Amino acid sequence: MEGREFTVVGKKLPRIDALAKVTGEGRFISDIQLPGMLYGKVLRSPLAHAKILDLDISNAEKLPGVKAVVTAKDSPRKTFCIYPNLANNLILQDTKVRYVGDQVAAVAAIDENIAEEALDLIKVEYQELPAVFDPEEAIKSSAPRIHEEENNVAAYIKRQFGNIEDGFARSDVIVEGRFKSPSVAHCCMEPRGCVASFDLSGKLTIWSTTQTPHSLRQELAEVLDIPINRVRVMSAYVGGAFGSRMFMDPIDAIASLLSRKSGKPVRIVNTREEEFISSRTRYPMIIELKTGAKKNGKCVVRQAKVITDNGAYNNLGSSVTGNACSKLCQLYSVPNIKFDGFVVYTNNVYGGACRGYGNPQITFAMETQMDEIAVKLGMDPAEIRLINANRPNTITVSGCEITSCGLTECIEETIDRSGWKMKKSKKRKNCGIGMAVVMHGGSGGKFYWGDNCHISSAIVKMNNDGTVDVLTGSKEIGQGSDTVLAQIAAEELGVLLEDINILSGDTDATPPCGGAWGSRQTFTAGIAVKSAAADVRRQLLSIATDMLEARIDDLEAKNGMISIKDYPEKAVPISTVASVSYTHLGTPIIGKSINNDPWSSTPDPVTGFGNVSSAYSFGVQVAEVEVDTDTGIVRPVKITCAYDLGRAINPLLAKGQVVGGTLSMGLGYALTENLVRKKGKVQNISFLDYKILTALDICDIECVFVETNDGRGPFGAKGIGEPAMIPTAAAISNAIYDAIGVRVKELPITPERILKALKEKS
Amino acid sequence: MKHQIRLNVNGAYYDLLVDPRKTLLEVIRNDIGLIGTKMGCNCGECGACTVIMDGRAVNACLILAVQANDKKILTIEGLASGGKLDPLQEAFIDYGALQCGYCTPGMIMSAKALLYKKSSPDRGEIQESIAGNLCRCTGYISVIEAIEAVIKAEKRP
Repeated sequence: MEGREFTVVGKKLPRIDALAKVTGEGRFISDIQLPGMLYGKVLRSPLAHAKILDLDISNAEKLPGVKAVVTAKDSPRKTFCIYPNLANNLILQDTKVRYVGDQVAAVAAIDENIAEEALDLIKVEYQELPAVFDPEEAIKSSAPRIHEEENNVAAYIKRQFGNIEDGFARSDVIVEGRFKSPSVAHCCMEPRGCVASFDLSGKLTIWSTTQTPHSLRQELAEVLDIPINRVRVMSAYVGGAFGSRMFMDPIDAIASLLSRKSGKPVRIVNTREEEFISSRTRYPMIIELKTGAKKNGKCVVRQAKVITDNGAYNNLGSSVTGNACSKLCQLYSVPNIKFDGFVVYTNNVYGGACRGYGNPQITFAMETQMDEIAVKLGMDPAEIRLINANRPNTITVSGCEITSCGLTECIEETIDRSGWKMKKSKKRKNCGIGMAVVMHGGSGGKFYWGDNCHISSAIVKMNNDGTVDVLTGSKEIGQGSDTVLAQIAAEELGVLLEDINILSGDTDATPPCGGAWGSRQTFTAGIAVKSAAADVRRQLLSIATDMLEARIDDLEAKNGMISIKDYPEKAVPISTVASVSYTHLGTPIIGKSINNDPWSSTPDPVTGFGNVSSAYSFGVQVAEVEVDTDTGIVRPVKITCAYDLGRAINPLLAKGQVVGGTLSMGLGYALTENLVRKKGKVQNISFLDYKILTALDICDIECVFVETNDGRGPFGAKGIGEPAMIPTAAAISNAIYDAIGVRVKELPITPERILKALKEKS
Repeated sequence: MKHQIRLNVNGAYYDLLVDPRKTLLEVIRNDIGLIGTKMGCNCGECGACTVIMDGRAVNACLILAVQANDKKILTIEGLASGGKLDPLQEAFIDYGALQCGYCTPGMIMSAKALLYKKSSPDRGEIQESIAGNLCRCTGYISVIEAIEAVIKAEKRP
């Protein structure tokens, strides 16, 4: 495989959905319009913590144009969470609300204005309860209880590897610090939404902005108490997800209830305000980190106490904290580790997956401290990273098997390309340069839960004219997975990209797949698609043996032809072989494959030991900044990135992931983004007040790939989506220190925080 | 009371009876059925609904349909002609200037309005022209490069 010339893989090919998207033809969820469709609106709690004493919907039901009003009474009242043992949320609340935005009732009407009006007619009598918003307050025994549990600790994750006492005793330098990261909104340009339609037979068809269609199908079947085959999650374009649309949102189930009750299709699309108030957020963490290193720069011990604001209900807080722990154990392969992670309920909106999944939080802390150690030892921050860099074919103390690893090469690339050495030696006033690295799963990861989320499967059908249908349960959410998976199929089959028709995400037509999260689709779904295509190729070659009078091992499929190796003139078109098989032999060619990600395992529940991912991706970012010490404004000048993604199946799309991840989510996380809450109510509920970066706020960027050709990945590829944004905040923070000699350990690094740090320094 | 209006959208005339509260965005999407124009915030902050009205880029969610009476509107669907894509559309495809694609129609319309105004804008002017079009996927660089390529009449990256 290594020496092979590729014809489709590795090429900068345009996205296969590009035409639909530049012409406005592409159908997104909010474009789905069905005959007789009603518009749903959700009544949300104005209070952060309250008992529901009475709920009266009678006036709303009487309003002309209203077709259904639902409360918890209309649902089976089943709690939900992707981890059933942690489930404590309901799609509609009836005893208590636990955050501002919690859903208590919903209306479907013939238009949005009537639905809105009907919400005002629903009377809810609340008895306000004391609330708690700061996780460090919520963890205290005196704090108000949010659930009927002993305390507000939703989960405690404890991990210990090696011996930290010994590690610190042997350290020549020790640094300690407290790092805080904010609650951040995903800000998908398409608001979350769905169209749900129950038919008379009781079958639900739903279009949803989900990134996990097969999981959503199971979750809806569960909360609606119907069999799985009575739910069909349809395929449509999704206007961004970034983790926020991983698993079910209450509105998916609420629209379904409204449809069942009204007998009509029902659409619910969040307003932008609802997106900010009630959509998932990145979990905020308070991280107390202590790191010890030897005089030669080798990092020997790390100890972290993490408090994660879980918000009001369980979702992915435990898993995200588990991944933060996992990365603490993995990056630089430190031999002595202690981790205490407290996942704490508060009366804030509950969090969810967000590009990086706990890793941006812990990387900000780890990589800031790496710089502090370099300063204490008088070492170059790049040099200390080279000394500690993970190496290929090594096992971390926590059991992670690192196979391919190009971290050292990535560091060297960024040193060269950024002019690191020159810029470190010739300093300009208030200008600085900083580095941070990332290690992340390049194949998804098993941090906490059971196994059904981790599989991917594919069916590949060859039509009798040589064109191909690829059916996959994966989900295109803008990252380009449809294009990448089609390229993988085309390469494996020896056909052109335009010969591939791909259908992804429709749960009635595609085989199960965990979906789009954890930078897993290129690797995990890619392996499934490649194996299914290989199955088809074998069948084709087998039929061609008679036609070409050759042994199967002597045949190859390439550019639409099957030929004898080294004798390209002895060839037959794939379309002819397909036609013979389909028409004459009566055996249409169908291939299938299931990839259950056999190389990784969920960590041992007691020891935490385990290889959580089948492959690991690596990257480095070098940021250059200018700081105005009068105003505190940080101006990013340039970011130089190098990433080990195994192999870029499509370099155009891979670069798009890195550039977009860095400049939009990475820089925003570093400098501007923060959901500000007052008594649990989000104050910045619009793009005017919640600042994501515009075309005027970005900086130059250079991006290079280090291709390590992973032994397990499809054509050597590993995931790149999440690693793209993870190191940016730390790189910027380290550059700021280089520029003005202060460290801000709370994100985002706002002008106010810079000025405060400068004042404290002087 | 409903109002009678006449819109010229992509060269075709529409005579409509509209509620005075309705925005141009709602009319384009729901009454005329051109769903390429997207709604991202409904308050003029994200630019997903950008269309060109009498030669200028506007947020269709901030214009009441009645204000657009007798105006000439161009939406993303009106850009390609005779089965041929607009050079901006081609460049967006070639430069990978889109991912989820939700902001793309608005982004292209803002760029188009810029090119109506100026034949060879510099990078700063390009950035300025799309500063009101938020994108969470691309980091804008590929978008800027695609627009520059059209200006330089380059074809491929």
